[in-house]
Amino acid sequence: MVTNEEIAHYIHSIPPAPTIIQETIQFVRNGDLVKAAKCADEDPALKLYLRTLVNRAVYGFRNEVHDVSQIFGILGISTAQQVLYHYLMTLLAPKKWKLFHLDNHTFYDLQASLSRNWGKILHHLGVLDHDTASAITLLPASIIICDALFGSHKSEVEQLRSVKALDYNTILSRLSGQSLFDLSSQIAEKWEIPSTISRIVHAASGLDRDLSENEHVLAQWMHLLLFFELSKGLYVQAGLNEFIDFQIDFVSDIYESFVQVMEYNESNR
Amino acid sequence: MRATVKGRVAIFYPQGFLDGNNASSFLSIDDIRATEALNIDMLLVSLKKVIFFNKNGLDVFIKLLISIRNQKRISIGLCDYDSLKFKTINAFYGNNLNFSLFRTEKIAELFTPSNKSDSKTVLLYNDDLSQRSAMAIELFDYGHNPVIAQSKKEFDEKKQHPDLYYTIIEDTYLGLFGQKIATRVTGNVIIYTVANFLDAEITNTFNIAYHNNSLNVGFRLFIFDAYKVISMNVHALNFFTKLASSAAEYNATICFVGLTFEKTPQIFKNDLEDAGILFFDNMDDILKNKELLQELGGSVATASKQTRTLNKALVNELPRFIDATISTIAMMTNAKASKESMNIQTLEITDTTNQYASSIGFYGDVDGMIIIIFPKAIAKKACELLIGEATDDEETILDSLAEFVNIIGGRAKALLGEQKHRVDITLPRTYGDVVSLMEMAQNKKGVQVNLSFEGSHFIFFLTR
Repeated sequence: MVTNEEIAHYIHSIPPAPTIIQETIQFVRNGDLVKAAKCADEDPALKLYLRTLVNRAVYGFRNEVHDVSQIFGILGISTAQQVLYHYLMTLLAPKKWKLFHLDNHTFYDLQASLSRNWGKILHHLGVLDHDTASAITLLPASIIICDALFGSHKSEVEQLRSVKALDYNTILSRLSGQSLFDLSSQIAEKWEIPSTISRIVHAASGLDRDLSENEHVLAQWMHLLLFFELSKGLYVQAGLNEFIDFQIDFVSDIYESFVQVMEYNESNR
Repeated sequence: MRATVKGRVAIFYPQGFLDGNNASSFLSIDDIRATEALNIDMLLVSLKKVIFFNKNGLDVFIKLLISIRNQKRISIGLCDYDSLKFKTINAFYGNNLNFSLFRTEKIAELFTPSNKSDSKTVLLYNDDLSQRSAMAIELFDYGHNPVIAQSKKEFDEKKQHPDLYYTIIEDTYLGLFGQKIATRVTGNVIIYTVANFLDAEITNTFNIAYHNNSLNVGFRLFIFDAYKVISMNVHALNFFTKLASSAAEYNATICFVGLTFEKTPQIFKNDLEDAGILFFDNMDDILKNKELLQELGGSVATASKQTRTLNKALVNELPRFIDATISTIAMMTNAKASKESMNIQTLEITDTTNQYASSIGFYGDVDGMIIIIFPKAIAKKACELLIGEATDDEETILDSLAEFVNIIGGRAKALLGEQKHRVDITLPRTYGDVVSLMEMAQNKKGVQVNLSFEGSHFIFFLTR
């Protein structure tokens, strides 16, 4: 099964964030979207990603958006920062998913849907800072790591799960002492993503103790949002519903507000 | 999504939201086929991790459950919910509730046969008198000791002392139950409870897979508790005669207790006796008579008068069984076990103290039994992934050891499948000490492989 050596090798194999991306993110963080667009323009892969992402149905633009500065202008600072972190995630994503039945388009849709709904949540909570808004982008890192580490152990996990309902995060923690969220934090550190972001994402596992009140609230909403998304048919079919353990008690007190914010119509489903 | 199987209960664990839009995504065609192929007595959907569900969502699972119940006559239902969810489910289905509801998995397990002979004392209450009685009868038939509260007030008082009970049964409902003959284990005896009229229907209600499992893992005495039987017809007579013939191949004994022949032709008794079935008036005539018990095979020490010998087919597959064991240990611990020695012999354990053991049988194209004997510390280490937290609770460790051996059995089955050998595996059995294992295995000749793992030794034994 997954060993500490495999984990160390995997983390080691992740390259630092490309300089252009780091610079673009820095310009966006400083609020200079013009310089950020100029910088992003130098990276054809990033440009293509931005165009493809922004023109996907979830963003709901009527006309196709081409120009990077136009894209950043439309997105605004907070969303632009999120989209850049999303791009970093796609660099981490595998070309071919081995554990989950995903393709990259489905994964992009998950990223986009998480971001959109996270925006609604932060609006409801009255949280305006950009780092908290960007925190959601790091959440899918745990899915990528899970696929990378368990992809070649699929049949072993199936045998284990045939006798005990264990999620991947628990299996990894028991085998190595490190959770998928610990590894996400390590990658965030490597990519110089602010620790405020990785702390919230780590807490979204629903298992962290000693959280500040603010972190606790954000972690609750993020955890429930994750399972709201992972309960959607496409992601259930992909096998994502079983990847971490849903901490139902951790989120029970925000459930009513959550369904209102998400406009989840219980009676019409 | 695949169901997780514990003992003879399979459970689906969906998480998050369960509604009409997503529920069908939990069950692919492959998942449905895999569920249909399971050898189980109960199939459940756990709502423990479901924060929202509606009737449309539940109906998708219920439809599958009912279809499997119709094929296999197993019990089906929902489990792991709180009082609020219980009320919601009742509101959804009202009088059309034709499946069971178990507040916890622990409660559900009480209503299925197992290999364990421990009788559990449980507190039981239900507003509905017929439900209360049905549950009490089922629990009793499965070998448990239900303490029945006659009123809500009495229940609430008794509930104040939860430590007196294995579990407290409330918010539970038995729907279309009693489809299978209840089974319990007392010591090394399997007891089946039969009632009313015994006719051709017994071929459907008797759990033949469980019976064969029990024969394969070494049970040799089977008692039909027939106090509540009114009469039997010729179809039931034929069934029991055939059962006695197949038991004879294993040197096993079948007895009837409490059966009267007021409405059953006396000639049936003669036919059954000719087939080798014994008759007793009272259960205690057997269970309290140690000498008789031993003679009948209810004390496993004497069960192996006619030991089944190793055959070429089994020895040929030995490498696959060892592979399955070593690879399971590697999977569960990330440490390597290595082979030290291998001999054809009777089971020999040099150090009998502080050891746990577990066995699992298999039958089909090849048949036999795998026995694994671990020092307690190594057993704990091997099961760490399943147990999760440090524990010295013997029941938890033995339960995990059973799961561990079940994985070995599953891997062996898969490896044999690659060689086009089709086998089924039995329920695993665990032993808290080596003495009780030796009673079952001491005369059996097999292949003993001594293995080493993290500086300690453990034994793999393959026998028939």
